[in-house]
Amino acid sequence: MNTHWQILVVDDEEVMCESLAAWLREDGYHVDTACSGRDAVEKARAKDYAIYFVDLKMPGGMDGIETMMQIRRLHPDASIIIITAYATVDTAITAIKEGAQEYIVKPCNPEEISMLVSRILKVKRLQRENTILRKKLSRQYSFHDVVSKNPRMHAVLELAQEISSLRSTVLIQGESGTGKEMVARAIHYSGDRAANPFIAVSCAALAETLLESELFGHEKGAFTGASAQKRGKFELADSGTIFLDEIGDISPKLQCDLLRVLQERSFYRVGGSEEVRVDARVIAATHVDLRQAVAEGKFREDLFYRLNVIEIRIPPLRERREDVPLLARHFLERLSHELGKDAGDFSDGAMKVLMDHNWPGNVRELENAVERAIVTCHGRVLTEDDFGFLAQNGARKPWSIPAGMTLQDMEKQMIVATLERTEGNIKEAAGVLGIDRSTMYEKIKRYEIPR
Amino acid sequence: MKYFYVGATADLRTDTDREALTALRGRVGEEFGLPVRAIELPAIDFTFDAARGQYASSAALDLLVRETPPDAAKLLAVTTRDLFIPVLTFVFGQAQLNGRVGIVSLARLRQEFYTLPPDGAVFLDRAVKEALHESGHLFGLIHCADRGCAMSLSTGVRQIDIKQPAFCGPCQGRIRRPSRGESQ
Repeated sequence: MNTHWQILVVDDEEVMCESLAAWLREDGYHVDTACSGRDAVEKARAKDYAIYFVDLKMPGGMDGIETMMQIRRLHPDASIIIITAYATVDTAITAIKEGAQEYIVKPCNPEEISMLVSRILKVKRLQRENTILRKKLSRQYSFHDVVSKNPRMHAVLELAQEISSLRSTVLIQGESGTGKEMVARAIHYSGDRAANPFIAVSCAALAETLLESELFGHEKGAFTGASAQKRGKFELADSGTIFLDEIGDISPKLQCDLLRVLQERSFYRVGGSEEVRVDARVIAATHVDLRQAVAEGKFREDLFYRLNVIEIRIPPLRERREDVPLLARHFLERLSHELGKDAGDFSDGAMKVLMDHNWPGNVRELENAVERAIVTCHGRVLTEDDFGFLAQNGARKPWSIPAGMTLQDMEKQMIVATLERTEGNIKEAAGVLGIDRSTMYEKIKRYEIPR
Repeated sequence: MKYFYVGATADLRTDTDREALTALRGRVGEEFGLPVRAIELPAIDFTFDAARGQYASSAALDLLVRETPPDAAKLLAVTTRDLFIPVLTFVFGQAQLNGRVGIVSLARLRQEFYTLPPDGAVFLDRAVKEALHESGHLFGLIHCADRGCAMSLSTGVRQIDIKQPAFCGPCQGRIRRPSRGESQ
């Protein structure tokens, strides 16, 4: 029950150090010992402990108070308990002033130490839980929060739900702003890893070497500035999920390293010689066409197949226009509450502007547009004027018609294009074109459109 | 064949202490499934700390390591001496976690220690529970959150009295019995 909490006991007397460590280990804690202040600071640099027991009087020019100050410089939130055999009011005050959480006089009652430790850990557990809950509160992670009535989106969500408890790697493809991370989070939080961490990394945001140490961590001294050991995102995601956004942008070396992690489920920290084993589910996402990148030799073929075990393609917003009003109302409701404004509806004109817009930035762009309109609007209803900025910078390009085209050519091309978008789903394509299914079949037959 | 040795240090003399030794020896024998053997152990008087008037349990464990017979899988000592580790006012016992030697003190298990009239049954019950607890550590168990389990941490006799002279289900399952190879 306590196995993941780590404690450091610092005392120059070995018997004192070892006996307290042994006593705490019986409680299930992982306990390390240090025989001097210097030793303690070195150990704190390599590892962050939940609690430090530090003896006040230690020889060698570094007493308990000095040791505590140096540890607190490394870990400002460290819980440090100062132990002393010679209690004076002065030392107690100094210890507490310098940030000791508790001050105990040895020998002390077993019950006292036991309660002290469980009280500190209770607070730490609550702090951690609070952080997770806050995150959950600010971002909802379930499939119910993906708003859509589009059949292709429903298929995507169904697939995502089906595979949520598997360990298989998932590749999510979709344009920027289509909600790739949201789908990844929904997969994680509805699967059996939900209680474990979900770690998101944007591969495009960092330079190659930085990304490498970000993903795999590094050992102390691995490079200039690596002053302490650092765990990488893969380690943090152990028994959970790691989400690698913009996977198409990573360098050939990292592609190679990543392939190794996917195959062996283990890796080495930068500058390290110890193999680290992890059980992290990988969900990768990209806005570029990886098949194309493979064909052009920019992306390793073997890595692509390792990633592409389960493929999820999220359609862009312009191909599921029926979701625009739904999403717009969803954002209006949420954002007007968050921004403390009273906006409650869209005028018909405003909705028409939204429906006609091409949304190159997809759902994210729509969300930002609604937010901007709420901020600048004056009444309860958002009008087309409130969305005037869309017409200026994102208006659809006028459609040009090639010369010499017949009405039948046009109809054929339109049916072919719509079927492509609906991935051959005739019922859906008929719905988009506003005709019934039998008419659709008739036209497909007449124009000899291959199915 | 390897044995679980359970014996008293030289200070154990009264009949009630001997009775407690027999009772706890029987109980640990049936719990861990290892054949139990009796052993006479030397006194631990050299671990006496005059300033505290108590005996250092870590030093006592060092002695027990030297006294462990070659055919012993585990060794549990029972003493009447009041034990301590430097940072604590006392300990009821101490054992190497998943190791070979442990020690239980009977000193604070008697009602007389708390200026109450003697009660043989209560004393016997506490001795069995603490012997099970320290043996549990020898077999790799850590403290249990279940107040009724013998592995729950007791920092006073009241907590010992609350618990059962048995392990809860999950602790039962976690006992690390020496493998066949080790025990033969």
